[in-house]
Amino acid sequence: METALTNLKKGDKAEIVRVSAVGEIRRRLLDMGVCRGTHIKILRVAPLGDPIEIFLKGFNLSLRKEEAANIYVIRIGELGDGKPMGLPGRRQSDGQEGCGA
Amino acid sequence: MIKKKEIVVALAGNPNSGKTSLFNELVGTNQKVGNWAGVTIEKYEGTVIHKGYSIRFIDLPGTYSLTAYSPEEVITRNFIIEKKPDVVVNVVDGTSLERNLYLTVQLMELKTNLILALNMFDEVEKAGIKIDIKQLQNLLGSHIVPTSAVKKTGLKSLLDHIVRVYEHDIIIAKNKVVFSEQIEGKIDALEKLLEQEPQLSGKYPVRWLAIKLLENDTQVYNLIKDYPIWIKALKILHGSSSEQDSPEEPDLETAITDDRNSFIRGALRETMVISARKKKSVTERIDSVLINRVLGIPIFLLIMWCVFSFTFKLGEAPMGWIEFFFKWLANSVSAVLPQGFLRSIIVDGIIAGVGGVLVFLPNIILLFIALSFLEGTGYMARAAFVIDKVMHKVGLHGKSFLPMITGFGCSIPALMATRTLKNRGDRLVTMMIIPFMSCGAKLPVYVLLISAFFPPAMAGNVLFAIYIFGVLIAIISARLLKSTILKGCSEPFVMELPVYRLPTIKSILIQSLLKAQMYIKKAGTTILLASLIIWLASNYPQSAKISVETGTSEQQVNNSITLSSGQKAVAIQKLENNKASRQLEYSASGKAGKLIEPLIKPLGFDWRIGVALISGLAAKEVVVSTLGTIYSLGEADEKSVNLATRLRHDPGFSKAAALSLMVFVLLYIPCIATIMVFKKESGAWKWVGIYSVYALSVAWISSFIVYRIALLLGLGN
Repeated sequence: METALTNLKKGDKAEIVRVSAVGEIRRRLLDMGVCRGTHIKILRVAPLGDPIEIFLKGFNLSLRKEEAANIYVIRIGELGDGKPMGLPGRRQSDGQEGCGA
Repeated sequence: MIKKKEIVVALAGNPNSGKTSLFNELVGTNQKVGNWAGVTIEKYEGTVIHKGYSIRFIDLPGTYSLTAYSPEEVITRNFIIEKKPDVVVNVVDGTSLERNLYLTVQLMELKTNLILALNMFDEVEKAGIKIDIKQLQNLLGSHIVPTSAVKKTGLKSLLDHIVRVYEHDIIIAKNKVVFSEQIEGKIDALEKLLEQEPQLSGKYPVRWLAIKLLENDTQVYNLIKDYPIWIKALKILHGSSSEQDSPEEPDLETAITDDRNSFIRGALRETMVISARKKKSVTERIDSVLINRVLGIPIFLLIMWCVFSFTFKLGEAPMGWIEFFFKWLANSVSAVLPQGFLRSIIVDGIIAGVGGVLVFLPNIILLFIALSFLEGTGYMARAAFVIDKVMHKVGLHGKSFLPMITGFGCSIPALMATRTLKNRGDRLVTMMIIPFMSCGAKLPVYVLLISAFFPPAMAGNVLFAIYIFGVLIAIISARLLKSTILKGCSEPFVMELPVYRLPTIKSILIQSLLKAQMYIKKAGTTILLASLIIWLASNYPQSAKISVETGTSEQQVNNSITLSSGQKAVAIQKLENNKASRQLEYSASGKAGKLIEPLIKPLGFDWRIGVALISGLAAKEVVVSTLGTIYSLGEADEKSVNLATRLRHDPGFSKAAALSLMVFVLLYIPCIATIMVFKKESGAWKWVGIYSVYALSVAWISSFIVYRIALLLGLGN
């Protein structure tokens, strides 16, 4: 199931399927590598509950929940086969460095 | 000597790619810092001599992309397009190559002589990442040089490559990223159109213009708007937007980004192998303690406290030495020069003014050592991560926190520290609220007034209340400014948390000393001039009549036979004090004080406080010494207790007026030095004007309210 990034818990892994943010924030997310097909992992939530920290493409990124709410993902392993249910043709193959081990 | 041929090299790369350390290693201390024209973003330049060439490096601001969204990105691409550097070195962090190459493919679109410095190569090997450099070179069409700024490897090889590219010994292939068919079709059509305008095609790579048009780049839009081909171009562009009506298909901008990413992913799949990741990286282990849910905040506060003490406690001693030196200099000069205008202007004007500029240096250097250390290790981003929720409530970025608390020490380094904020709106708001964080120089004023009007038991509470009041005003101001004149200028909080690294001492020292140099060069001269003006206003014009009268009275005292020599000295001192007080009244400041009296009367101030407030523009401590002079006490700094008694018994003063004055000193325009740094950091007098009007209004309104409430509470005497 497609869900907002904010619904994931610490340690969850997912593949980005859609970024619905607009304007400058959208551009910034895309530039930082948050685009569809990217694998991510939720690392932690800040002590005060916001922002959150995720891992992607070999680096750590922090973003506020209001921005994360506009990023839609599919959990990896959700279908039981350990594979994401990404969009056909745009899928990143497993075993890439995208989302850690 | 024959002048060496110059090769201009631009360094571009992601933030945290080690670009600046590489730059430091390459050019060493042989560098200078300035600002890019029109913006207060630092510009670093340095030259190195290699193989008979003088290679001039320009360290471009770190960016992730080359859109027109942030000034850093515009600077980077404009520099490459307009200044046409001979070689562009793209510094990439080998440990997160996939993200770093996104900038690389955009640099490729600019058709320059691009060399890749595969930086942090030592860490790449350690992390078990294997890169087929030859194959990647073929795919990108650029030469790749593995480097490591920390291990100092690959530096010579990089310089060799630069020279060889310049000598056409190496030809850069300048490959292009091929987009999907639909996009390529549009690029072709736009390219054909753009080539009809020699003015455009002569200056810009047309393919780049076409891609940027498809990406809705506002700058390129504005560039092409004035040409006749615009209408046709619009047709091609509009055709594109109607075709992507279906919500399933992403818009062109996203499609282009996707295609770039696919290209990178494909290239890396072919050339990079990562052996199984280690269980937990060092960074992960440090972060599990430093920004953990329970310890995160206490550790953050502890580190902030350390930075603050480091800057100001450690700065106290050298500040003392500087003050001592200038006092000594003033005394020595006084001893040599005869009394008069020349001595006065040299000693009280110039020496005091230069001392007033230099006295901030220890704080500035120490703060920037701390800041470069926090930035260099990677904790700065974590600090913003930890405190962002609080700052976001106020409408600010997590990174605003450190400059704000630095403001409790001194506004000058605090304003300079806002350079860590990349967004202009966030930065301006932070700058405007920093002076409300009560600085160290305002403390003597509070101490004087509190000791004069409040019992010792209450002193602590009143002082604390003043500080809290400043913080509250700062918070309210931030919200107000963010929702009015600086609306919508917020940095999206999408921020990299870089890997922890130990910064080199060399780079920390270079950074701090360059900041100090910048402060002296740019701010120093204007601060000096402004202090001179204030000094002149407080001393001139002088009334000959007052001098003559005092002279006559002193003569009478001296000639008196009834007084002992001790009594004579006391009487003369009294006359001298009286003279100073009357001369101050007669001076331009005194007249200005009287002029503004109607304005400050509602706050419970008379003209004498007006004079103190005006001279307080030189430095806030001066408020105390001016009150001392004007209440006829002469040298007041050392004997403020006496002054306190004097104020308490003065009929013009009351508890309510004291409270009102403390609030006014807390909030009104800070010292001239701060104003000059404000001008320099904001880049325009316009902002100084807006800030001054705002600060004065807030100070007046707050003091008025505090005074009236205090009167109602019966504190009017």
